[in-house]
Amino acid sequence: MIKNKHVAVIGGGIAGMETASVLSNQGLKVTLIEKQPVTGGKLNDWDQLFPDFSSSETLVTRQNSKTSHSGVNVVYNTEINRIEKINGRFELSDERDVKIFADAVVVASGFRVFDATLKEEYGYGLFGNVITSVDFERQMKKYGKLLTAQGTEPKRVAIIHCVGSRDAKVGNTYCSKVCCITGIKQAIEINQKLPDCEVFCFYMDLRLYGSKFDTLYLTAQKQHKIQFIRGRLSEAAEKPDKSLQIKAEDTLQGRPLRMNVDMIILLVGMEPGPSNSRLIQNNKMALDENGFLKSANIHDARNCTTQEGIFMAGTAICPMPVNETLENARSAATEVIHFFENKKNDGRF
Amino acid sequence: MVVKLYAQLKEDVRLAEGLQACMNCGICTAICPAAEYYEYDPRSIAITVQSGNEEKIAALLKSDTIWYCGQCMSCKTRCPRNNCPGLIISVLRKLSQETGAFTESRMGRQQYLIMKTIGANILRFGYCVHPTVLKPENHPEQGPVWKWVFENKHDVYDSVGANLDGDGPGAMRKIAETDLSELLKIFKVSNGIKLYETIEHFSQIKAVKMGLVDQNGGADMEKYTQYLLQEV
Amino acid sequence: MAEQIWKNTRSIYYRKFKMEESKTKIKWSEYNKEIADDHFFYLRSCIRQNFNPGAEKVFLSILQKNLNKDIFDDPHHTTCSGIGYHSDIVPFETFQTMVARQFSLMGERGYKNCAVSCITSFGGYNEVLSTWKDYPEELAKARENLRKATGREFEIPENLSHACDIIYKFRNEIARQSGYRLINRETGEPLKVVDHIGCHYAKIFPEKGVGGSEYSRVLTGMIEAWGGQTVDYPERRHCCGFGFRHYLVKNNRGYSISNSRKKFVSMEPYRPDAILTNCPGCNMFLDRWQYTLAQMEGKTYGGGTNGIPVLSHEELAGLVLGYDPWKDLGLQMHQVDVEPLLKKIGVAYDPKQKFAGKNGKYINKPLFTGCINQNIPV
Repeated sequence: MIKNKHVAVIGGGIAGMETASVLSNQGLKVTLIEKQPVTGGKLNDWDQLFPDFSSSETLVTRQNSKTSHSGVNVVYNTEINRIEKINGRFELSDERDVKIFADAVVVASGFRVFDATLKEEYGYGLFGNVITSVDFERQMKKYGKLLTAQGTEPKRVAIIHCVGSRDAKVGNTYCSKVCCITGIKQAIEINQKLPDCEVFCFYMDLRLYGSKFDTLYLTAQKQHKIQFIRGRLSEAAEKPDKSLQIKAEDTLQGRPLRMNVDMIILLVGMEPGPSNSRLIQNNKMALDENGFLKSANIHDARNCTTQEGIFMAGTAICPMPVNETLENARSAATEVIHFFENKKNDGRF
Repeated sequence: MVVKLYAQLKEDVRLAEGLQACMNCGICTAICPAAEYYEYDPRSIAITVQSGNEEKIAALLKSDTIWYCGQCMSCKTRCPRNNCPGLIISVLRKLSQETGAFTESRMGRQQYLIMKTIGANILRFGYCVHPTVLKPENHPEQGPVWKWVFENKHDVYDSVGANLDGDGPGAMRKIAETDLSELLKIFKVSNGIKLYETIEHFSQIKAVKMGLVDQNGGADMEKYTQYLLQEV
Repeated sequence: MAEQIWKNTRSIYYRKFKMEESKTKIKWSEYNKEIADDHFFYLRSCIRQNFNPGAEKVFLSILQKNLNKDIFDDPHHTTCSGIGYHSDIVPFETFQTMVARQFSLMGERGYKNCAVSCITSFGGYNEVLSTWKDYPEELAKARENLRKATGREFEIPENLSHACDIIYKFRNEIARQSGYRLINRETGEPLKVVDHIGCHYAKIFPEKGVGGSEYSRVLTGMIEAWGGQTVDYPERRHCCGFGFRHYLVKNNRGYSISNSRKKFVSMEPYRPDAILTNCPGCNMFLDRWQYTLAQMEGKTYGGGTNGIPVLSHEELAGLVLGYDPWKDLGLQMHQVDVEPLLKKIGVAYDPKQKFAGKNGKYINKPLFTGCINQNIPV
């Protein structure tokens, strides 16, 4: 009888909330464990979602509502750092030795934003006018438009793709999938509020995988006059007036360029969550070559870890956008139910 | 038998170090001082070599292009794929000299001048440069203070506690004959002399082709040197 | 290699991969490389010996007398041939064998640590050591070549540090012993010093530079320890433009001078009081090109007719420790006058001894010093 089974979901972001509410609505007992005082995760800091500019806050509110109506028990301010299988059940503990026992676990602990100070040559953390895409969302939520560190309206902004991604120098050689479309979205947002501001996107490739994304790219060029330069940023230096001098190559022209901009927005990638390496210690979970949690089968068992009974959902697995995260979370719930119903894994792993 | 240039490049261990796989991002060109000064694009050097295209590589070996790099290695610091165009350039320059292609370009021909100065200094003095050969008339950019040093060498070097051309330890000491003979043996055994001779050999051929000859029709390398020094 | 990095950093992640494939994330601002403490084998620099011989003598004095260190100056070592290597007239195989000979001498004298004076050498030695680690057949070939040519054997040094690393390591002790500080005596303000790091110090192997390659701390650490203030300016990391063949062949010198000019233009608004270098080539070029540019353009970048004094780490260390600017440091061999800096710091010096020989007797003097000839009416 699966109704007596207890599932612990680690992480109260949208993935954790989705998996938890689906399982709870199926009749299982679910505890959702969140390290912060509130649920919502990274989306709490986000302003508008691509590609339709809908509100992140509205979506998070819906998730919160769904979760509370489904009867999930939410535990706040608790960060699980240990999962161990003891006598057929899972024992979850945090640093204070809070103990939660469950019959199955779903790890939905999400991702970490790349620390852009590691790209020293970009000057993040040193130069006030170098910000990340995450900082941009916070600014938009707070002020409704982009302002320089001096409080003025910028006249020229450079958006830099692939920061912390596809870069052997910082140890992340993978692509973070959602940054290109985020950059286009943010470029459009800048131009909407500051029509006189020039916006340049410096990219290597434009990875616009979604069906609506290329349309947005066209819109960005036609309606918003966003300019796209195929060349990766080499360095940014601050001038006496706090504007920035940047160096890149326009590879399609085959010429190096040096340009003055008022602000730089670094599209920072998604990195593995900080707790991953601890969570895998006392069980058979493993990390993949990028440091994210390893799937039992990347094609048809993506939600299954290499430890039977522990599943995962959302960006704990790899970078993914909101819609994929929610679908992935529902899929994780299905895997949990199949696990309890002792369904064979069909040779998937 | 057609000489496969790409295969020859790959024999140098430095090619594997300098070229993992290039994704054309342009970060190297962005930061390259030579790209700011010359019509030079290190990214395209990496891509050309990566393609293995024999014609393109052959053209590179004969061009000024591969001689623009100043070997600062700023490219190595930034490349997100851990490549190093500066190192690829060194491998190309080596092959260009070994095959004689270097005499086809103005800047490539200058290797003769460097071999005759720095190359000779290493074996003659045991230093890459020596005050006696840094003549102010050849180095106006060194300024009047250097001219004063040059004209009063022993007094000046003495006054700062150096040991110019002296025995024993100290700055600018005379490198002993035993040490110099070890250097010469090293250069012989490790193919250093071979490279000097290769440079000399192809430069002489080029001198004759350019009509810079003595009365017997043989290469006049003094004329050749003077020609190279005014070639722009 | 990855293990060495982990031992020396408080960095976050560590995996046992070769550097090319490594996923190590290094917070360079916290990175400290290993610098030996004592018992050094000194490897001199061709350029520094030619143009700033006093600097090398002072380095030895500072280590032996001020810091009580053991550093050996072997007359049998020669050029490493690095300048020849980077102008591509000396093959890599020969360069490796030349480096091997230097290490052989080191071992012969019973030393395991190298103190390297030249930055080209430093980059070259590290390149060779790295090659030997990854390609044992190259190491075998170097052993065979050296043996065949000279009968010598050699060991890999335990530690290879640049002279600036050693000065950096003992910068606080030097500060403790110094009577002078990098502070303007009139105004009480810290002197603004531009640090110029030689490209081959940390651009090739960031893990071989104190603080990595972008915000290297080896020179800024000295400046700050001795009371000065560092200047960050846009072209801070730009090459001085030596470019090896671009200076060695006179036709190409436009490249060299243009690169230095780019730096001067960029640093000018910050009005630096001095430039500090660790590379002997950069030290010479940044000094001479100010003069050459002034002759071409009629202007200097330091304001006035002199320019910005350029000093190496040995020269600056010697200065704050009270060594004589002429007899010990040999600063009279610089084209840009250092006197404005000496006055700001309050260093005592005898102007009459500037162009004097060993016995104190006047030699004669250059046509002019500084960037612009004051004697010619404009």
